[in-house]
Amino acid sequence: MTDIASRLSGAGTNALELRGMSRYFGALAALSDITLTVKPGERRAVLGSNGAGKTTLFNCITGDFLPTTGSIRLFGEDVTTFPAHERIRRGLRRTYQISLLFGGLSVFDNIYLACAGVSRGRFSMLRPRKNDALVAAAEDLIVTVNLAEHRETLVNVLSYGQQRQLEIALALAGAPRFILFDEPAAGLSPTERSDLITILTSLPEHIGYIIIEHDMDVALRVSESVTMMHNGRIFKEGLPQEIEEDPEVQELYLGGGHG
Amino acid sequence: MAVVDHKTFDTNDADKEGVSEPSRTGVYWAVGLILVILPAFTGEFILSDIVSRILVMGMIALSLMFLAGYGGMVSLAQLTIAGVAAYMTAVFGTSAITEISIGLTWWIAVPIAIIIAMIFGTMVGALSVRTEGIYTIMITLAISAAFFFLANQNYDIFNGFSGINQVLPPVFVGVNWGNTIPFYYLCLFLAAVSYALVLYVSRSPFGLALQGIRDNPRRMAALGFNVTAHRIAAYTFASLVAGVGGVLMVWMNTAISPGAVSIAVVIDVLVMAVVGGLGHPVGAFLGAAVFIILETFALDVLETLGLPGERFQLLIGIGFLVIIFWSDDGLLGLWRKWRERSAKRDPLLGDLEGDGK
Amino acid sequence: MSKFWERHPFWSLIIVLVIAVFIWAIFAPWPSGITDMFGRKKVFLNALFSGVTLGALYFLAASGFTLIFGLMQNVNLAHGSLYLLGGYVGYQISIATADASGNVVNYTFWWLLAFVGAFLACAIFGMFLQYAVFRRMEGDDLKQTLVTIGISIVAADLMLWYWGGDFYTIATPQWLAGPTQLPLATAVKSSGDVVFLKYPSVRLLILVAAIVIGVLMWLALNRTRVGMLVRAGVDDRDMLSASGVRIQRIFILVFAFGAGLAGIAGVVGGTFQSLAPGEDTSILLSSLVVVIVGGMGSIPGAALGALIIGLAEQFGSVYLPTYAPVLTFVIMAGVLAFRPQGLITSGR
Repeated sequence: MTDIASRLSGAGTNALELRGMSRYFGALAALSDITLTVKPGERRAVLGSNGAGKTTLFNCITGDFLPTTGSIRLFGEDVTTFPAHERIRRGLRRTYQISLLFGGLSVFDNIYLACAGVSRGRFSMLRPRKNDALVAAAEDLIVTVNLAEHRETLVNVLSYGQQRQLEIALALAGAPRFILFDEPAAGLSPTERSDLITILTSLPEHIGYIIIEHDMDVALRVSESVTMMHNGRIFKEGLPQEIEEDPEVQELYLGGGHG
Repeated sequence: MAVVDHKTFDTNDADKEGVSEPSRTGVYWAVGLILVILPAFTGEFILSDIVSRILVMGMIALSLMFLAGYGGMVSLAQLTIAGVAAYMTAVFGTSAITEISIGLTWWIAVPIAIIIAMIFGTMVGALSVRTEGIYTIMITLAISAAFFFLANQNYDIFNGFSGINQVLPPVFVGVNWGNTIPFYYLCLFLAAVSYALVLYVSRSPFGLALQGIRDNPRRMAALGFNVTAHRIAAYTFASLVAGVGGVLMVWMNTAISPGAVSIAVVIDVLVMAVVGGLGHPVGAFLGAAVFIILETFALDVLETLGLPGERFQLLIGIGFLVIIFWSDDGLLGLWRKWRERSAKRDPLLGDLEGDGK
Repeated sequence: MSKFWERHPFWSLIIVLVIAVFIWAIFAPWPSGITDMFGRKKVFLNALFSGVTLGALYFLAASGFTLIFGLMQNVNLAHGSLYLLGGYVGYQISIATADASGNVVNYTFWWLLAFVGAFLACAIFGMFLQYAVFRRMEGDDLKQTLVTIGISIVAADLMLWYWGGDFYTIATPQWLAGPTQLPLATAVKSSGDVVFLKYPSVRLLILVAAIVIGVLMWLALNRTRVGMLVRAGVDDRDMLSASGVRIQRIFILVFAFGAGLAGIAGVVGGTFQSLAPGEDTSILLSSLVVVIVGGMGSIPGAALGALIIGLAEQFGSVYLPTYAPVLTFVIMAGVLAFRPQGLITSGR
């Protein structure tokens, strides 16, 4: 499917719609009454201090656990009670703040697993042959994310920056339509950061995403809209410019509240 | 939370640990050749009471190893699944208990038995994978115990305490497979096939995904894998191996009784798999070999150690504890440690590099 | 509880109905139709009481197991060995001063001392295990569990070596040996006299003791500082160790207490069943099932699970003799299928 066609097919339905979503841990409200809409292809940044509920928000959207109340729609379909893997098969992807990779596997095997997860060959007990479609897909992806030279390297030998790069590569396997990036720039060097910005901005147009990012500079450069969270609630929404200049936001986030 | 979380995918690739590919192939050929020509040197007793038993129990331990080593699920139900296959072979085939045995010919009875064992194993999996990690041991142990008590008290299907006897291996293509040497070759063939199958599947997309789930189930779900279904499918596959082992078990003893599926034997199979090492399929057979050889010669071993001859369980228990304390992965782990040490040794001076002060 | 009623009106109704039928069956005289179907009321009442008292034994054994599991995530498969050890130690204490013909002066004292001795012996053994073994492999659940299996193999063989394969029964003190008449009618004679149920006093006493121990444990966990710390540890170990509490002390304390309870259960088991090799495995399995059914790591769960399994075993053996073990298993499988965490979940 071409980019334009997929954009058209998504027209009218939002990529993601959260309605009144809350998540409690015991008596603690990690998220309360989150209502959020992201259009197809839209790139959104979610900002907020530690404990604002950003990662919990991602966990709820991915399906790591169910929201206590509220609903989640993905491309128009109600996925509130779907298990994680069903949401992934509908084009949702996510990366993790702390890399969750398979350290004992080579870079290629990691990518191969990611490709297998969203294909039909998951349960195959036959080893892949040379002309296997999955292998071909993994070969393509490894080139796309500039990791081809580390093809056979074990992942726990990779540098931190390369691991973050692989983390993103896993989210690009198959045909992603909507990606959740959880602090992809954390711990990266300035050069690696600008590489990351290039990767994000050069993603195909039909792929929308939400990015959690502490680095305002990165966040505002790769996003078209911004949602501010505070204490498990949505605090402000707007264009990057507006958020950056908002006095309340500055007080809360850019000022003493940060760190 | 994988139970066996400190292992990685490549524990089964010995060539990454300094053993070159040709020497590994050489070891395979050597071991294979010895096993094939073994009947020429050994007597009936060694062949039937030791080597064939090692192969049969090794297959059941292999089934446990597959789930624990690749899937991170330490299932104590594998002997019970083998027991189901054994009982079903007796029930659908022929035996001395004519009120129970249906008397089907072996090539119908055996597949039925294995399929029932696989269904049973799948159900065990479906029940136990709903909880995480260490609960698996508790649940599967409870299931095994329930099956033992059922077999012990039920006379309609299991013939209670005395079990079902006279379950004989078939005569096929003019060979009586119950004779010592043909039965040995049957066991050897099926054990080798199981071993190769487990190794093969471990590197298939299914096996890789299973190992991914062991190391990081949450991440696998976020890659689109149905973690629960994958785990249950692993039980089904492991039940196939255990089921074939179970059929051989009933033929080997020509009988099946609750004693063969008691908790003590369930624990024995766990001990075999853990002592051998859960990191590679060969560990299951290695563990079974050590266990059964020790068991057979326990009297001599114990008297050499100055202990009373009947203290076999003490010997096994202490040996088991020593292995767990000293090795991360049974005898395989010890061997790996030893190789690493000798690899570090300077070939000329013979010193450990780390020791050079 | 009210929440449960709101969320599961159907199941609540079923539970209330079952309890109502039970209460009716306990107190009302049985019409002959029911007697034809289920046998005499005396058999029913006896199975009921045996089930409840067996549940008391299971509770004592399982509560220690679940307490240790809840706090330390340690599946102590040597728990059955502690039970058997406690039973044997209690037996030795109870006959310590016996003369040649087996008579003991002031036996009640020695019998009670058997409980104390078994508790202490197992508690000390448990402390040793936690301090010398499990502390070194914290966080490695599988290794800990495998070690407990190894210990149970060794312990079983050592006990077999010392005590042999005989059956031992701990004698009941004279004043408890007879039956107690309960105000429950089993039948009405043709003469109009009401026949009341008689039940062994010692079993009733042990039931009361188990309830008292359970309530005290619940109070200790919910009302004392140490109890709060233990519960905090169940909910969040990292937080507990970060708050500067010396978590190892709490671990050792809990392990000692849990092991001691197993010892007490051993003396109870030795008094109303018997002690022999193999009893360690069977009580371990009962504890496992109780904990799986009741909810792992929860004391009220252990109580509920013990009651259900005790009743199921006794009613099963009376009314469905060949399928009794399957009944227990069906209950366990049902719970696992519909509520994998068990009937009562702990705070987590």
